Parts: sequence; structure tokens; C-alpha cells
Amino acid sequence: MTSAAKVLQHRGRSLLARADAACNALYTWRYNPLYHTGALVVASFLVLLVSGLYLLLFYRIGAPYESVARITDQVWVGRWIRTAHRYVSDVAVVAIAVHAFRMFVQDRAWGPRALAWVSGVVLTVVFFICGWTGYVMVWDAQAELLAAEGARLLDVFPIFSEPMGRAFVGERAIPSAFFFLNLFAHIAFPVGIALLLWVHLSRLARTQIFPPRPLLWGFVGLVVLVSVAWPIPMAERADLLRLPTDVPVDVFYGLWVYVTRALPPGGAWLVLAAPVAVALAVPLILRPRRDQLPAPSWVNDRVCTGCEQCYHDCPYEAIRMIPRVDDREGFVGHVDADKCVSCGICAGSCAPMVVGPVLRTGRDQLGEVKAFIERTDLSQDDIVLVGCANSAAGQGGGRWNVPAFPVSCIGAMHTSVLEYLVRAGAGGVVVVSCPPRDCWNREGVGWFEDRVHHRREAELKDRVDRRRIRIVYAAERETGLVAREIQSFRSYVGGLDRASSEPSIHIEAVCEVPEVSVAADVDA
Amino acid sequence: MSRARLLAGLVLACAVLVGIAGLSRVPMEGADRSEAVLRLSWRTVGLRVEECRLRTEEELAALAEHMRTAEVCVGRGADYELSVSVGGSEIVRDTVTPSGARRDRPVYVFRDLPLAPGEHRVKVEFAALVPSTYDPGDGAIEYAWEGTVVLGPTEIALITLDPSGRTLVHPGG
Repeated sequence: MTSAAKVLQHRGRSLLARADAACNALYTWRYNPLYHTGALVVASFLVLLVSGLYLLLFYRIGAPYESVARITDQVWVGRWIRTAHRYVSDVAVVAIAVHAFRMFVQDRAWGPRALAWVSGVVLTVVFFICGWTGYVMVWDAQAELLAAEGARLLDVFPIFSEPMGRAFVGERAIPSAFFFLNLFAHIAFPVGIALLLWVHLSRLARTQIFPPRPLLWGFVGLVVLVSVAWPIPMAERADLLRLPTDVPVDVFYGLWVYVTRALPPGGAWLVLAAPVAVALAVPLILRPRRDQLPAPSWVNDRVCTGCEQCYHDCPYEAIRMIPRVDDREGFVGHVDADKCVSCGICAGSCAPMVVGPVLRTGRDQLGEVKAFIERTDLSQDDIVLVGCANSAAGQGGGRWNVPAFPVSCIGAMHTSVLEYLVRAGAGGVVVVSCPPRDCWNREGVGWFEDRVHHRREAELKDRVDRRRIRIVYAAERETGLVAREIQSFRSYVGGLDRASSEPSIHIEAVCEVPEVSVAADVDA
Repeated sequence: MSRARLLAGLVLACAVLVGIAGLSRVPMEGADRSEAVLRLSWRTVGLRVEECRLRTEEELAALAEHMRTAEVCVGRGADYELSVSVGGSEIVRDTVTPSGARRDRPVYVFRDLPLAPGEHRVKVEFAALVPSTYDPGDGAIEYAWEGTVVLGPTEIALITLDPSGRTLVHPGG
């Protein structure tokens, strides 16, 4: 990765963390729109489809401007639906930008995630072109600008028998065939968008393509409210024999015209293509050097019981079950290294602790926690902070004066680590994770909570006193929240019986499908 | 979530949406009232300049029987020279070549020439660059238009070919 990209990522991440914290304070992490930008784009797409279908009923290719003017004259329905169609298309652009920004600064755009990134860039370009055709449909002054500039740029390529630009010289009226083709493109592009969306999400398991209902309906309601209160008026009709004077331009779809029209077509294409090329190159720019690439997960198939939990839990569908090749029957997990992002979620899912990235399996984690206990000298009043690297606790526990056991992602942490800490005599364990909707590994937080409280494999054993465990969702900048939670948890734990320290801790590593049972003994 | 935060959240969401709505209709400054344009736009099939010669006996013998045409012609579209004068001063003199990789497609002219609003004496000439001895047959070698163009502020005056494709005209002029 280049140092410039690193600096950009660092500054961008800091900016995003501030915005996330502010929005968490206002909307809570559940409904923070910044965590749902991808889903908001999908929601916008659906709103555009529905509102577009209504507009299509009244649109006439023989009289485009007049038909849109008639829609705008429908005070009760048409006017705000047309306005909402436009505002939502703008919101989608903003949501796409924030979504891409998040993926970039969180370093989630290379390796196995490159397909999602590249398809996202292509989706954005197609979305813009679709928007462009939509604005041309109105055939007002802005449409004239967009159509004439688009034709000028397309005429660089020798693909039309007659230069497109000549259609807009005013020599004759624009034929209906043009508006028919434009309408056809405006309807056909969403089909392409849907297909690209499928590619975009194809490497993700259990995608949440819609925002939570309160956010979804809040978004739709707000758009309707603003559309009713501030509808889009009709601009002047396109007049090919008059220079456009003051044109109301949608900056999200029309600003480029003001950049490119002062340039020759070749230069204009360069200006337009350069950002797309840079965006497409991001996976290459961000990719670490070969010797710094994180190791993918692997499965010790000698010990794997074939319980399928890692297969179910992997957020990237990088694990599949294949028939055993030894003399036993059944299946064994197999990691597809090309799809594995090395998140380690599988390490947390495996009761026998035989899957995970190299040196990060459950067994490795137990070794680390043992070393942590030995060097920390825990007392019975100590609160141990287990912090996800991307949460408010990512910088360690120094600022709260508590011993801290850092983990890459709490979803990658085996519950035996928690068991070990509690049984070693910690007064309590505060697990700080990033908010579930901002989990860099998608499902780590949800799986972890299920393992602790809802008996998801590899669950936290019943013998562990759950009163001594607290899970806190705190985004990178929400350090105050962590401080408050530690303080309140300390008082709560103070009211419990004194924690007991076990001299010898035996951690069972068994799966619910115990064809093979493996025990890992770790002495405290 | 407290009511105050909910309210603050709603206000912020409204503000962002109103901001986006505002950005969807930014009045951009277009042409000034002191600007006008003379637009030249036409398409013509153009003249095809051919050089023909008779095949030799040897050449004919080398060809398949059904391909033995005596005369072989190599042709290309003729270049044209475009010149525009306004008020007696020449503002454009340019060579226009036929389109297509083999220059066998029509000739297109599309120029926007900025002029000040007002009355202008304009002369447009568009002539094929062929030897003076060349016989164009039915094709036209020269197109020309001379007349007065009256341009209002921000108006575009169009000079184009008439439907017959033989004369330049100024529709509405």
C-alpha cells in the first residue's frame, strides 16, 4: 500500500469515527444511517423503481416536456412523486459515496473483497448513466445540456453512422425515436443494476440488503415530507436554438457538464475516466505486500468433527464441507483461501478449536490468555477489558486503568478465552466490540453474543458465571461510553460474591457432534 | 433514546435531506446576454473522386472469369474547404474531410461560432477540393450562402442545407 493511501485511510477513518460516534449518540447504533449506507442504496433503488413506475404511466415520448409538466401539475400525487424520485436518486449518490468511503478507510476493498469493490464501482457508473438518461427524459434546459454534452463525448467513438451531436443542433425537432431509446435505456439500466448488485453481494453470506424498518420507513417518510414541502418545479423547456442561461442543475448528476464542456472531448473523457480508473485500482493500491498478507484460515482435518459450525458462521462463504479422505466417514471443513479474508470468525465458531487463521485458532488464543494471566497478576477486584481492535477499546485499557486483553474481533475470540479469564479469578470481564452493524467482519458481534447468551456453538459453558461478563458496543470514538460501563460494571461486580481463582483450569474442547472429542488442558 | 436526542436526530436528518434537495437544483450560470452563436450544421454525401484505369491483358488473365471487368477504379471522398466571413472579415478557413476510416462516409459540418448579438453580414462557402477539370456530374462542388443574420441575446442562428441538399439556407432568417 502506498504511504499516501495510508495517510488518506488514517485521516478518513478518524473523520468517519467522529461522524459515527455523533450519529450513534443521536440515532443509537441500531439506526445510525452511516452504518446502513449500502442498505439505504438498495432501499433508494426500490423507491426509485416504485416511483418510476408511477411516472412511467404518464410519460409520453411524443411530448416529453409536456407530459412531465402535466405530472408536476398533479398537486396531490404526481408532483411529490416526481420530486421524491429525484431526491431519492440524489440520496442514493450520497449513500454510495459514504459506503465506498467506509470500505476504503476500513481497508475492506482488496483481496477477496476486491470483487465487491470493483462491482461497486461499476454499479456506481451504471447508476450515474441511468440517472443521466432520467434527466434527459424531462427535456428541459438541464436535459438539453446533458444530452448535448453526452452526444459530444460519444461522438469521439466511431460507433454511430451519424454523429449524435447533430441531433441537437436545432435543424429539426428531436424525433420520438430518441426519447423512446432514452426511455428504454432508463428502464433497462435498472435490470443491469439488479444483476450487478447480485454480483456485488455474491461473496457475502446472509446479506442484510434492507435497513431496519424504523430507519427504512423513517427515510421514506422524510423524503415524502421534504418532497411535499419543497417540490421540484419545471425548468424551462429545452430550446436548441437558444443558449441556456440560468439552468437549475442537479449537482449530483449534472455538475460534470460544467467541468467537461470547456475541454476537448479527449480531455473530457480523461477527466471522467481518471476517477473511475483510480477507483478500480484501489484493490491493487491497498493490497499489502505479499509477505504482509494475512494468512487465510486452515482446518486441522484430523481433529475436525465435521459439525459444520464454521461453514455456517463464515460471513464470506469461504468454508465448505468436503468428504473426508481418511478412513472415517462424514465431512470435514475446507477453507477456500481465495475467498477467506482472514477475519477469524471460524476460530470462534469451532468447539474443538481446530480451525482459524494460522496462530489465531482457539488453541492459540488460550495460549495467549494464559500468558496474559501470568503477566497480569489478576486480583479478584480486577475488571479485565477484552477489546475488539476496531472498537473504542482498540487502543488498550490504559486510559481506564484496567488490564486489557486485545483481540482482532470479538467474533474471532473463542468463548473459552472468557471462561479462562473468569475462572482465573477476574472480578469481571467487559467485552467491548464495535457496534454490530459496523463489524468489520460483518457478523462477528452477533455470533459472539449468540455464543455467550444463546447457546450457539461454540457456546460459553454453563459453569461460567455470566454475571461477571458484560458486552458493550462502543464505536471507535465512544470512549466515554466504555468508561461509564466499566464504572457501573465495577460497582455491580462489587456486589457479587468474591470471585474465586481456580488453581488448575481444564478447558473442554468438544463439539455437539462428538465423533471426535478433544480436550485441551491448560494449567493456570 | 431521549426525546431531545430523537428530536435532534430528526432535525439533523431533515437538514441533510433539505441540503441534498437544495443541491439538486443549483442555479448554474449559463450564457451571458451578450452572447449569441452562428451555428453551421449540415451533412452531405460529398463528392467521390475516382481514378480509373484499364486492366492489362495479364491482369485480366490472372482473375477469375466472372471478375474480369476491364476497368478498375480507386476512389475516395473529396475534402471540402469551409470558409466563413462575418462583416467582411474571415473568421474560419478550414478543411473538412469525409468521415469514416476510409473516408467514404458523408461529410459533416458542425461548428458553433460565437458572435455578439446584433446584425451581421455573413458569407459561408463550402467547396470541394477537386481539380478544376473534374466533372462532378450531378454532384455539387460548391455550396455558399451570403446574407444578413440578426441575432438576439443568447440566440443561435442556424445555417444548414435545404432539404434538397443543394443549397445552404438560414431557416427563419
